[in-house]
Amino acid sequence: MKLANFYRITLAFIFSVLISLASVLPANAAKRLSASVADWTGGMVTCQVAVAVLEQELGYKVKRINIPSGTGLYEAIAAGDVDFACESWPSYTEMDTVMVGHFGGDGSVQWLGDTGIVGASDYYVPKYFVDANPDFKSWKDLNKYKDQFSTIETGDKGRLIGCPVPGWNCYDQKRLDMLGIDFIADELGTETASWAEAQAAFARKEPFLLYSWEPHWIHAAMDLVGVKLPPNAPCETWNEADNYKDCGLGKWPATGWAEDITFNYGNPDVFKDHPEAAHMFSKFSISNKDQAKMIYAIDKDGRDIAEVVQEWKDANKDIWSAWLP
Amino acid sequence: MATINSTQNTKQNYINDKFILPIVILIGIIISLILVKNSSSESEFPKFITDPFTFSTWINFCEDWMKDNYRWFTRMIAGFIKEAYYSLEDFLIESPWLFILSLLLLPSIAAGGLRLGLLVLIGTMFWGIVGMWDAAMQTLALMGLSVFLSVIFGVITGIICSQSDRAEGFIRPILDTMQVMPAFVYLLPAVFFFGIGGPPAIMATMIYALPPVIRLTNLGIRQVPSETIESATSFGSNRLQLLFKIKIPLALPSIMMGINQTIMMALGLVVLATFIGAEGLGTEVWRAIYRLKVGWAFEGGMCILFMAIMFDRFSLALSKSPEQDLPKNKVAFLFLPQNWDDNSLAQMVEKPLRIVWDSISLFFTAICYALSHLIKNIIQIVNKNFAKNVKNFINKRVFLFSSILILIFILVFDKYGPGIGAFPDSLNMSFRKPVDVSVAWLTVQPNFIAFTKGLRAIVYLYLLHPLDIYLTHVPWWYTMGAFVLISWVSVGVRFAIVCAVLLAFIGACDLWMESMITLSSVLVSVLICFIFGVPLGIAAAYSKRFDIFLRPILDAMQTLPVFCYLIPVLMFFGGNIVSAVIATVIYSLPPMVRLTTLGLSQVSVTVTEVSQSFGGTGFQTLRKIKLPMALPSLVMGFNQAVMMAFAMQVVTPLIGGKGLGRDVFGSLAKSDTGKGLAAGLGIVLLAVIMDRLSQAWTKNQRKALGL
Repeated sequence: MKLANFYRITLAFIFSVLISLASVLPANAAKRLSASVADWTGGMVTCQVAVAVLEQELGYKVKRINIPSGTGLYEAIAAGDVDFACESWPSYTEMDTVMVGHFGGDGSVQWLGDTGIVGASDYYVPKYFVDANPDFKSWKDLNKYKDQFSTIETGDKGRLIGCPVPGWNCYDQKRLDMLGIDFIADELGTETASWAEAQAAFARKEPFLLYSWEPHWIHAAMDLVGVKLPPNAPCETWNEADNYKDCGLGKWPATGWAEDITFNYGNPDVFKDHPEAAHMFSKFSISNKDQAKMIYAIDKDGRDIAEVVQEWKDANKDIWSAWLP
Repeated sequence: MATINSTQNTKQNYINDKFILPIVILIGIIISLILVKNSSSESEFPKFITDPFTFSTWINFCEDWMKDNYRWFTRMIAGFIKEAYYSLEDFLIESPWLFILSLLLLPSIAAGGLRLGLLVLIGTMFWGIVGMWDAAMQTLALMGLSVFLSVIFGVITGIICSQSDRAEGFIRPILDTMQVMPAFVYLLPAVFFFGIGGPPAIMATMIYALPPVIRLTNLGIRQVPSETIESATSFGSNRLQLLFKIKIPLALPSIMMGINQTIMMALGLVVLATFIGAEGLGTEVWRAIYRLKVGWAFEGGMCILFMAIMFDRFSLALSKSPEQDLPKNKVAFLFLPQNWDDNSLAQMVEKPLRIVWDSISLFFTAICYALSHLIKNIIQIVNKNFAKNVKNFINKRVFLFSSILILIFILVFDKYGPGIGAFPDSLNMSFRKPVDVSVAWLTVQPNFIAFTKGLRAIVYLYLLHPLDIYLTHVPWWYTMGAFVLISWVSVGVRFAIVCAVLLAFIGACDLWMESMITLSSVLVSVLICFIFGVPLGIAAAYSKRFDIFLRPILDAMQTLPVFCYLIPVLMFFGGNIVSAVIATVIYSLPPMVRLTTLGLSQVSVTVTEVSQSFGGTGFQTLRKIKLPMALPSLVMGFNQAVMMAFAMQVVTPLIGGKGLGRDVFGSLAKSDTGKGLAAGLGIVLLAVIMDRLSQAWTKNQRKALGL
């Protein structure tokens, strides 16, 4: 086999030809954008809708980057590593007032427009638990029933199936501590793990305390009741009697979340060069109902995101055609 | 007199070792248990140390400063790499799939014959069949580029090292340290300097995969026999001629071995780099894990496995010297193992293959000859001599030119014919549905639920939880003292001081509790690993058949990147802290099994025979003779298992792992580089301490056994 021998020498040649060939090929950078796909299903749907319209109607090529949402993503967008991201929830984001010009930040990240999704978050208990314990009215009663919520991992404290991803800035444990709820927040690593855990407990009819939000399919899959965390309100109305520890920065997170008008955001320089894309985002709007339907099809029926969104896009031409320039 | 005295002394020492040490350890443990009993909460490092020592703030400050002042520079480098990466990726994704397939297939046929060709064909088709063609191309682009850079820098550095002892002395300790570090450590500084996405991943991978090329280039050049060098010098070659005409060509097999290792390391990190936003097969697996889609994750894992095996075999084939000629009366087998050539059935399979193969080569040889003749006739008009040379050049390289012809044909066919384009959907035969369905079926079986729940409860209640409580509740000064004492006794004063400083650093970063939880997960994992690994290793050492069965499985396990191990665990145990431990056990099992088998099979036959002639039964021989003799090897296995378990800690947060790994993981999302770096360093420092301790233990054991 002398073949292998001479090939060794020519292999290097082939690779160099390959690489020069690759560099000659036009990198169609003009119509290229990179997006961060969100790490929860709702955000993924919103992003996929935007990406589908950009790719199919405006001729863009969108590179999908996988990074967890959070402050890191804002910095990546400001630095130009990622061009845009979808569905930021203001009450989770800490960078919106720092970096987004629209909210009084330094403008290193651009507000591209609202998504149309309005979110609400809370802690939830199953309906059957409330039915079995009519005394249970709100979060203030959680301590009374904490032994029903305990697991081997939490010992004599109750367990909250908390916000699954650290980057979301939920501060579950801090909230529990500030409100004097004797529970431990369990961070399961992924959103799906959280739902799996809740569904398993639901199937066994065990009480559980779950962090969740709307719009979400979980509310269609099981009957949940919010624990009515103290309403999120401006600082002046807060007082010690309501068990809010202090005002100023320290008060958060001793309340629930405010209603979230979610928005898309991106790198200002990039969108200056791509007015079509910027226009699309400024008109972009999908409804809670549509998103929830798609989330249900994806998470509950186990279908592919791209496929589900494509179906929605085919059926709702009147909605997205209004976004086009 | 003197001899008697010394025997007494050794006896005294023996008694000391036998009794005093266990008693000291026992007392130590009892005191710590009392301390645990009396402490009501987790032990925390004193506030007056942790408060002023704000390591993460300093790092973040540094990062901001770098961003303001040097960002243009790092961005410029990242920009170059981004350009190269994007165009390579575009090229791979947008070329017709058959073109890429041939591009991978033809060199592997040339290097490893039909066998390797078939492997590459199956592997490549698999990417397309499960619908991960694009992702595979992205991984290829990332890996190709980082290996390319790694080889360039590595070979140059290796050559420099081989020429100057001073350079070697300078580089070697750096390489040693680099190889102890877990892979993810390279990702953090890459983010620090270059942001997220493909370019930082390429930079990190390039640096991570450098050591083997440097080492083996250096080694290969230095190992060129001195007779060859002398004869070359006597013919009057100067130093450069000697280097480039004699030494480097002779060192090529060694350099290729280095490249092989580099490729494997690069693949591992490129897949892991999905954590910092690089795309590819790793992203597919990560997304699947995020959505708890077992079938999808499984397909991704298989794609990575195929890619790893393909590149491993391909680069090994390149580094092997050409096969020696067979005896005249035998025909080389194309597909089946050569030693089956007496079997008539094998002959029956091989004969038609050989005929097809020969006719294909004949066909292409004819085309090539025709082509070379044509070219010769054209060039002849200008220069006769040159034309002849060109003809010879082509005729000597039939395979290469026919390969180029095939590639050009595919391109032309794609452009002007009906078009080939992307991998056809009609070939798509994804099997994630059946996998998902069967897993879903299995996980609702009552027996299975009982089993997994039982296992979870046992591991958690009897191993993990007590150890967690114990390690987090023992006062920090006590744990630290114990570590320092152990390192003093087993390694020496210097390391004891180093150990104290490292632990103090972890404590001062306010990571004491997290690091104890990490330590506990690692220890529990390694313990379970020991319980399963050693018997498996013993079985493999005693039964040849079992060994043959086990070996390819272990090989495959060692080529798979870290996070494929999450898949089966996720499949059966869901996401929680026990799953994290189980994944760690699976990942760190291979070295444990391997080194047990190795240690046992290295015990010399004479020793075993002596024991048997004294009437020792098989079990006695194993327990009293073989296992103690194999102990150094076992400890080596333990050492490697510990290191791998530490490396796994960064990945397990994806399925519910806790401790330092989660801080590393979370800090990326929170853009808190300082905290991530501190936690990452914490894991590395713990790993370094454990590594040194177990290595010292091996050394002492070896000395005691007189090996």
